[in-house]
Amino acid sequence: MSRTADMTITPRGLRLRPDDKPVVFAAGFVLLILLVGTGYTLYTQGSAPLLQPQYLVQQLQVGSFLGIVAAGLMVVILLGHIDLSVPWTLTAAAMMATAVGGPWAIPAGIAIGLLVGIVNGLGVAYLRVPSMIFTLGMNAVMRGLMVAHTGGFAPQTAATDLMQYLAVSRIGGVIPVALLVWLMVSVAVVMILTCTTLGRSIYAIGNRERAAYLSGIDTNRVILIAFALSGAAAGLAGVLLAGYSTKAYQGMGDAYLLPAIAAVVIGGTNILGGRGRYLGTLVGVILIVLLNSVLSIMQIPEAGRQIIYGCVIISMLLVYGRGARVNG
Amino acid sequence: MLEPAPFFALENISKHYGGVHALRDVDFECSRGSIHAVLGENGAGKSTLMKIMAGVVQPDEGRMVLEGAPVTFPNPSAANRAGIVCIFQELSLMPELTVADNITLSSPPRRFGFIDSRAQRRCSEELLARIGCEDINPLSRVSDLPLSRRQMVEIAKALGRDPKLLILDEATSALTSADVDRVYRMLFELKARDLSILYISHRMHEIEALADRCSVFRNGRHIETFAKGARSRDEIIGLMIGREIEGQFPAKPRRPRPASLITIRDLSWESRLNGIGLEAGRGEIVGLGGLDGQGQKELLLALFGVLRGVRGTVTLEGEPTAASSPKAAKSGRARMALVPEDRKSEGLILSMSIADNIAMASLDRLSHGMFMDPGRTRLAVERAIEQLRIKIGDAADPVSTLSGGNQQKVVLAKWLATNPDVILLNDPTRGIDVGTKQEIYRLMRALTEEGACILFYSTDYEELIGCCDRVAVMYDGRIVRELEGDAITERNIIASALNIAEQPETAHV
Repeated sequence: MSRTADMTITPRGLRLRPDDKPVVFAAGFVLLILLVGTGYTLYTQGSAPLLQPQYLVQQLQVGSFLGIVAAGLMVVILLGHIDLSVPWTLTAAAMMATAVGGPWAIPAGIAIGLLVGIVNGLGVAYLRVPSMIFTLGMNAVMRGLMVAHTGGFAPQTAATDLMQYLAVSRIGGVIPVALLVWLMVSVAVVMILTCTTLGRSIYAIGNRERAAYLSGIDTNRVILIAFALSGAAAGLAGVLLAGYSTKAYQGMGDAYLLPAIAAVVIGGTNILGGRGRYLGTLVGVILIVLLNSVLSIMQIPEAGRQIIYGCVIISMLLVYGRGARVNG
Repeated sequence: MLEPAPFFALENISKHYGGVHALRDVDFECSRGSIHAVLGENGAGKSTLMKIMAGVVQPDEGRMVLEGAPVTFPNPSAANRAGIVCIFQELSLMPELTVADNITLSSPPRRFGFIDSRAQRRCSEELLARIGCEDINPLSRVSDLPLSRRQMVEIAKALGRDPKLLILDEATSALTSADVDRVYRMLFELKARDLSILYISHRMHEIEALADRCSVFRNGRHIETFAKGARSRDEIIGLMIGREIEGQFPAKPRRPRPASLITIRDLSWESRLNGIGLEAGRGEIVGLGGLDGQGQKELLLALFGVLRGVRGTVTLEGEPTAASSPKAAKSGRARMALVPEDRKSEGLILSMSIADNIAMASLDRLSHGMFMDPGRTRLAVERAIEQLRIKIGDAADPVSTLSGGNQQKVVLAKWLATNPDVILLNDPTRGIDVGTKQEIYRLMRALTEEGACILFYSTDYEELIGCCDRVAVMYDGRIVRELEGDAITERNIIASALNIAEQPETAHV
């Protein structure tokens, strides 16, 4: 008798809040990817490299760059906006950091990102240009500036030792420093979103800007700060990525925009703003990185990989979307 | 009496929204070749009646009979096909399309399957000429036309559908007097062609000039129908009011008028506010009366810093202020608070929690630097829920789970947390049950006892009479009359709201 009573209580204890569902779902999918990949390697090679800690840590290190970009982007997406200037903000930060060199390399890179973010914020908040258009324009402007700066060639300057240390080194030979940087950015974003008036205002604006404005929230300032944060995160990612490849190069940020958006959205953040948890973005990044890696381990041709990758994103959003409609 | 058979008749029609009865058991009929005026206060059910006739909403009960045959209109185009065409109060034109596109929107002339733009233009020109608006170019974009011309385009569009019953809902409210004359001529011409016309207006002189018959609605009921001239203006107003007083209001304290806390001089904004002057002091509830849309909402928004380009001066505690944003308004020397018109889209963030919503306006008071103080926030939320007796399950639930009355209490709680001096209320009791209404009245009185000053706009005259120390009645962006003490009666408010003392000609601006 008592056992059945317990069992009727458990589901209630496990009941998920609507915001938790995508996180759990994405985490489950991460496990599924690992299982499928391991099944494949067991069948073809008789070993399970995907479950070894070195492999997982390596993936997390590679994922750090995407993770930092996604953290910044999430803040903007929560507002119901988008930052499409990420690729060339990242590239510009990397190029400026290597060009400046010395102790000021990293601050210079982040400052470039911050500056682009502030211009984005001014355009979106005060000039009321739709963010999709304004940040797309800024992306092109930054690209042009960088082509002018380098003459269209890969810059000859190299990343500083500190940049390489942050991106490549491992503490005690185990824990990647890049992972720690990602962790610090994550803690900062979680703090902003959950513990500050800024975070509260971001969710409020993302849900209903008019009601937030009429509550006396300085909506323009909040939008400006959010874009500045996104720009700074892209700048930091650029600095690290330059350290990882020891130099900056044209188009180095191109591979980061769409996966970052995908990671944020797979993590359960509403693309129209107002809803989402940072933990989801974290899981979303891991999902994207692992999916890419496992698909290449399984030696699926590029065309197939792209198709599977796209189908995964679409099908996950379909699942969330249906849930949201039922809840709403 | 030999009456012609009714062209269109409604029998036992009822409609309710939630618990609110918009129409109760209404019988109504109109006949061909006549102009039939429909009168009533705000919320008397006139608009709902029109919407049912035009197929915009479906009645809950009752049936409609068109030329002797029962009909139902599942959608507006079904009503259009039956010859019932409505010109609504809110303009229904597409601003980015041309005049000709709009006029022939529902059934554009076609050639080989494509829209025949030449025929479309010709047909628009003819229709515009019929209402004396040859000056409107059918190829100009609607958004480039002034409001009064757009209204004429709207009328041309309705004529283009070849109506047998034409419904005009406040259709002349935006017209210049020259256009009103043209519309009058057109209506008489249509009447001569045996059309049936229903005319809703708040302007008594228009009704006297146009109508053959008048029907008065009150509280969702059809009160009386009479031929023009059978009733005097006073009698008509009496019919519009005559309802039992319900709901209890807290006693008004009798005391001399307090010193002014907020002084408004010559406040103007675009064409909606035309030189408003008003004073209110601590401990006072000042009502804003008048018909819907005479500038009351704009006045509150202007004071709260939402509108751009407001002229005139506002003095708070003797200091001139010009709030440039709600943030400035809520944190000035005398703090302001606004309970906005639409609680679902402006007052609340429905998908966020009750606690988050209550804290929304006082984030700066509930934080150290940039970090929220969770303990203080929880305390403030609990105190507010207790003070306003908001009935909730858990403060972490989304505010959308609450009933309308409790939602409005959350809006009030949000602003009380800022400890405001001047509270601007925009129709705070609309769509709320009687019990919660009474709680809100008592709360308003208690707040003024503590020294707050309340500006209170309501579409419900009874509320203004029951709650307010003074009532400023607005008409066309001006305050036409200020009523005080025993002078605050329904008759006085309605008479001022209809601006009956005014000459008819000055009414259309």
